[in-house]
Amino acid sequence: MKLDRREFIKQAAISSAFATAGAIFPGISFGDWSRLANNTGIISWQKSPCRFCGTGCGVLVGVSDGKAVAVKGDPNCSVNKGLCCMKGYHSVQALYGKDRITKAKVRKNGQMIELPIQEALDLVAQKLQETKAAHGKDSIAIYGSGQWTIPDGYVASKLFKGCIGTNNVEANARLCMASAVTGFMTSFGIDEPMGCYEDIDYANVFITWGNNMAEMHPVLFSRMIANRKKRSNVKIIDLATRYTRTSQAADTSIIFKPQTDLAMANAICYEIIRNDWVNWNFVNEHVSFHKGKTNIGYGTEDHFAFKDKAESIDFEEFKVFLEDYTPEKVEKISGVPAKDVKYLAALYGDPSLKVTSFWCMGMNQHTRGTWINNLVYNIHLLVGKISTPGNSPFSLTGQPSACGTVREVGTLTNRLPHGVVMNEHDRKMAANIWDVPLENIDPKPTYHTVEMFRALDRGDIKFIWIQVTNPMVTMPNLKRYRDGALKDDRFVIVSDVYPTPTTDIADVILPAAMWIEQEGLYGNSERRTQHFAQIVDPPGDAMSDTWQLIEVARRLGFEKQFPWEKSNYIEKIWEEYRIFHAGPKHEMAPYKVLTERSGVQWPFVNGKETRWRFNSEHDPACTNGKDFHFYGKKDNRAWIWARPYEPAAELPDSEYGFWLNTGRVIEHWHTGSMTRRVPVLHNAVPSAYVEIHPEDAAELGVMNGEMVKIISRRGEITMPAQINGRGVPVPGMVFVPFFDESYLINEVTLDAFCPISKQPDYKKCAVRLEKA
Amino acid sequence: MMEFQERRIKPVLGVIVLSGIVFFVAVVDGKSGSKVPENYDNQGKKIFDAQQATPVQNLEADSAGRNLSKFYGLRQYPGSPPLIPHPVDLTFSGKESDCLSCHEKGGYSQEFGSFAPVTPHPEHTLCYQCHTQVTTEELFVESEWKSISPPRLGQSTLPGSPPPVPHSLQLRENCIACHTGPGAVVEIRVSHAFRGDCRQCHATNVKTSKPLEFSRK
Repeated sequence: MKLDRREFIKQAAISSAFATAGAIFPGISFGDWSRLANNTGIISWQKSPCRFCGTGCGVLVGVSDGKAVAVKGDPNCSVNKGLCCMKGYHSVQALYGKDRITKAKVRKNGQMIELPIQEALDLVAQKLQETKAAHGKDSIAIYGSGQWTIPDGYVASKLFKGCIGTNNVEANARLCMASAVTGFMTSFGIDEPMGCYEDIDYANVFITWGNNMAEMHPVLFSRMIANRKKRSNVKIIDLATRYTRTSQAADTSIIFKPQTDLAMANAICYEIIRNDWVNWNFVNEHVSFHKGKTNIGYGTEDHFAFKDKAESIDFEEFKVFLEDYTPEKVEKISGVPAKDVKYLAALYGDPSLKVTSFWCMGMNQHTRGTWINNLVYNIHLLVGKISTPGNSPFSLTGQPSACGTVREVGTLTNRLPHGVVMNEHDRKMAANIWDVPLENIDPKPTYHTVEMFRALDRGDIKFIWIQVTNPMVTMPNLKRYRDGALKDDRFVIVSDVYPTPTTDIADVILPAAMWIEQEGLYGNSERRTQHFAQIVDPPGDAMSDTWQLIEVARRLGFEKQFPWEKSNYIEKIWEEYRIFHAGPKHEMAPYKVLTERSGVQWPFVNGKETRWRFNSEHDPACTNGKDFHFYGKKDNRAWIWARPYEPAAELPDSEYGFWLNTGRVIEHWHTGSMTRRVPVLHNAVPSAYVEIHPEDAAELGVMNGEMVKIISRRGEITMPAQINGRGVPVPGMVFVPFFDESYLINEVTLDAFCPISKQPDYKKCAVRLEKA
Repeated sequence: MMEFQERRIKPVLGVIVLSGIVFFVAVVDGKSGSKVPENYDNQGKKIFDAQQATPVQNLEADSAGRNLSKFYGLRQYPGSPPLIPHPVDLTFSGKESDCLSCHEKGGYSQEFGSFAPVTPHPEHTLCYQCHTQVTTEELFVESEWKSISPPRLGQSTLPGSPPPVPHSLQLRENCIACHTGPGAVVEIRVSHAFRGDCRQCHATNVKTSKPLEFSRK
C-alpha cells in the first residue's frame, strides 16, 4: 500500500497521539495492573478455541512466566478472523478467580473437609460400587456438559455405557440444543448444519428467528453487519418476542407472540405455495412430505413417554394442511400483521436473494422445539435455498462443544459415538471398539436430563456425578430438583473450577482443570473440531475431567479399556474415537492435522474440509450423481413435515398474567460462574434484574431499580426492575437473565419440554408481579 | 423575520466541505416490521444507524485536529457539556439547530480551519441549553473549584484487550460520533468502527463508580 498524503497525516497523528497522551496523562503507564513477580515482558502465543459460546472463535492465548496474560483473536481462524467479543478477550482472567477450587473436598458431618484428590477418587469409586451393588447399575448416573471436551465426553460414555452398562449418561446440552438434533434427525436423518459461517459472506437476507445474535453470537453478528456495510444488498430481519440489541441493528424487526413462530413458519410456506415461488426442480428431486402425531403433550409429569410416528403424505395434502395458516388467520394467532408474513415469504421466495436463517435458544428451548426446527427447514426446502453458499438454515449452539462432545460423541441416554443404543449394529460397533462384551451395552435408553433429576428426587438414582456444569442454577422448576438432590442417601459428586450452587449440594467436590490447563478438543456450531494444547498448569490438585474419569475407571477394574499414559492420552483417545466416524459422511481429521490448524471442519476427506454438506460440488459423501444428495434419510430426500401450531404449556391467565422469558446478556456466559470472576464483565453487569415494559412498570408503580416479586405456580423471587435497559419486553412479558446465582429465576420456570427432544422451554411460563 | 435572518446567516456559516462524501441511504423497508423503541439499551440503535450511515472513509479518516488536552480544556469536569470554543455570530442565536449543520455529521470548516466534531446527541436541538458561549475571559469572582482527574487512557485489563468504556453513556450513546472520523480526538479515535457493534468488545465500566469484586453471598 502506498503512503498517500491522507495516510501520511494519519500515521503522523498516531505517533503524535501517543506522545501527547503520555505527557498529559501519566496514568497511561497502566498503573492499576498487578504485575507478575518474574515478568520478563515477553509473551508467547498459543492457539485455542474460546472457552465460551458455540461460535468457536479461534483465540491466541498469550503466556508469560507460566501464566496466561493476554488474548488475541486468531487471524488464521476462519470463524472470527482475528476478532473476539468482550468475553473472549478477557477469557483468561476466568482462570484466576481467587476462590478457585484447588483441593478435593468431602462432606463429613455436614462440613466440607479437604483431602488429597487420590483419596477422594477412591471414595468416588467405592461409593459407585456400593450403590451399584445395592441398587443396580441404573441407580448411577453421570451428568456432563457441552463444555466437556471431546475426550471428557468420550471416556464418560465408554465408562458408563460400555463398562458399567448404564445409559444414565446425559449432558446439559439437552437443555440447549436437543431440539436442534431432533430437528436435523427428523428433517435430514443426520445431525448438524449443512452450511458454515462462510454463508454470512454470501447471503443477502439474514432472518434471525428468536435469536438475539448481537449479544449471544456477537462475532457472527458483527460479521453480518460488516457485510451489510460492505455490500449494498444485505438486509437483517429480526423475528422476536422482545426488543433486543439485535432489533436495534436490524433493518426490520417483527414481534410475534410467544410460541406462534410455528404458525408464522407455516404461513410463510402457505404464501410461497400460493405465489408459486416453490422451486419445483428441487422439490421434485430432493424432498418428500410427511406428518407426525399431534397434541403431543408437555412432559410436566414424571415418567412421561412419547414416541412420534411418521406418515408419508403428498404435496397436495401438505397444501391442504397449510390452509389453516393463511397470513390473515396467522395474524390473529401471532399478532404479526399479514403484510409482514407476506413480506417474509417474499424474501424467502425471491429467487434472486440468498437467504440465511439463524436460530438458537428461541427455537430450541420450546415445547414444540423439534417442530419449529422442522418448519424452518420446510421453508428453505420449498424454495431450494439450502446447502449452497449464502442459502443456509443455520442452527447455532450455545456451548463450545455442544456439537463436538454431546452431539458427535453422543453423550445422551439414547446415543452412542456412532448411532443409538437401540440399534444392534451400533452397539456391536461400540462394543468392538471399546473392547467390552456386547451385552454390556443396554439397548434401552433410560432418563433424559429432566427425568434424570426427577429420578434423583424419586430415589431411582442414588449416585450422580456432575462435571463442568451448574444444574442447581439451570434446571427449570429448580426447587424440586435441589430438594431431591439434598435428600438422604443421595450421593452427589461435582467436578468444577469454582464454588457454585451445585458444589453447595455436593458430597464430594473434585477440583477440575479448566480449558487450557489441560489438552483437549471442542467442536463448534459449524462442524469444526478444534484442538488445544495444555498451555498453563492447573492449580493445586486440579485434574482434567477426562483423567478423573480414567482414575475412577481403573479403580473399578477397567484398566484394559483405559490404558493410556498421561503424556499422550488425548491423542490416543482421539484416534480411538475417530474410528466411530470413519467414512465420507463424518470422517474426522487426524490428531496431527488438528494440532496444526485452527480447527478443521468434518467431514474431512482426502485432506479436504467440507463446507456445504449435501451439495455434490462440496460434499464427498454425495453419490447419487445429482446436484444435491440428502443421504441422511433412507429415501435419499430431505423431509418436509406438516407440523401444526399448538399452544405453550402454560399461558398467562387472570391469576398469572405475564409471560416470563429468560436468557443471557453479552457480558455473562450461562450461570456466570466464570464471567462473574472477570472484573470487566462483572463491573459492566454486576447483578440480574427483571426487564419490564415501561407501561407495565407504571401500572405496578415500580421505578428502575425498585424490587419486584415474580411469582409462578412453582416459586417466587424478588429482584430489581429494569425499565428500558438492555432489552424491552412487550407489554405483558417480563425477561430475566439467568447468570446470577443470587436471583435463581429457575425456581420460577416450568419444567415442560418438547416431547420429541425432551428439551425444556425456558422462554415461556406464566407469572404474576407484585411490587416488593 | 426568520427568513431574513436565515438569508443573513448563510454566508457566516462559510463553506462546509464534506470531503468526498457520498451519503449512504439506509435501505429500510417502510412497509414491514414493528417499530423498535428508541430509548433502551442506552439508545444503542444510534451506533448501528451511524455505522450504516457514515461513509467508510469518514469512519477511518483522521485529521489530528483535536487532542485530549483541548478536549478537557473546554470542560469543567469529565462529562460536563463543553463550552463553545469558537465565536458565534450574534445573528446565529435565533435558531440553535443551525449548530447541527456542522456538528450533526461533521466535515471540514474553512472558516475555522478544522474538522467539526460530531455530536453524539443530534436529537437535542436546543444546543445553548447546555453549551455556553465564551464572550469574556474575566471572572466575576475567582473560584476554588477543583475537578477530579479524567479517566486515564490505556485501561485495558490485559495487554491488547479492548479497553472498557470509562464514561457514562447518558447523552454519549453513539460511540461512532466521538471516537471516529477526522473530527475525533486523536488519543481516543478508533479506526475499526467499520465493525459497527462497539459494545461487542467494549464493556461499560464507569470509572467514577466504585469497582466491584464478585463474591458469593
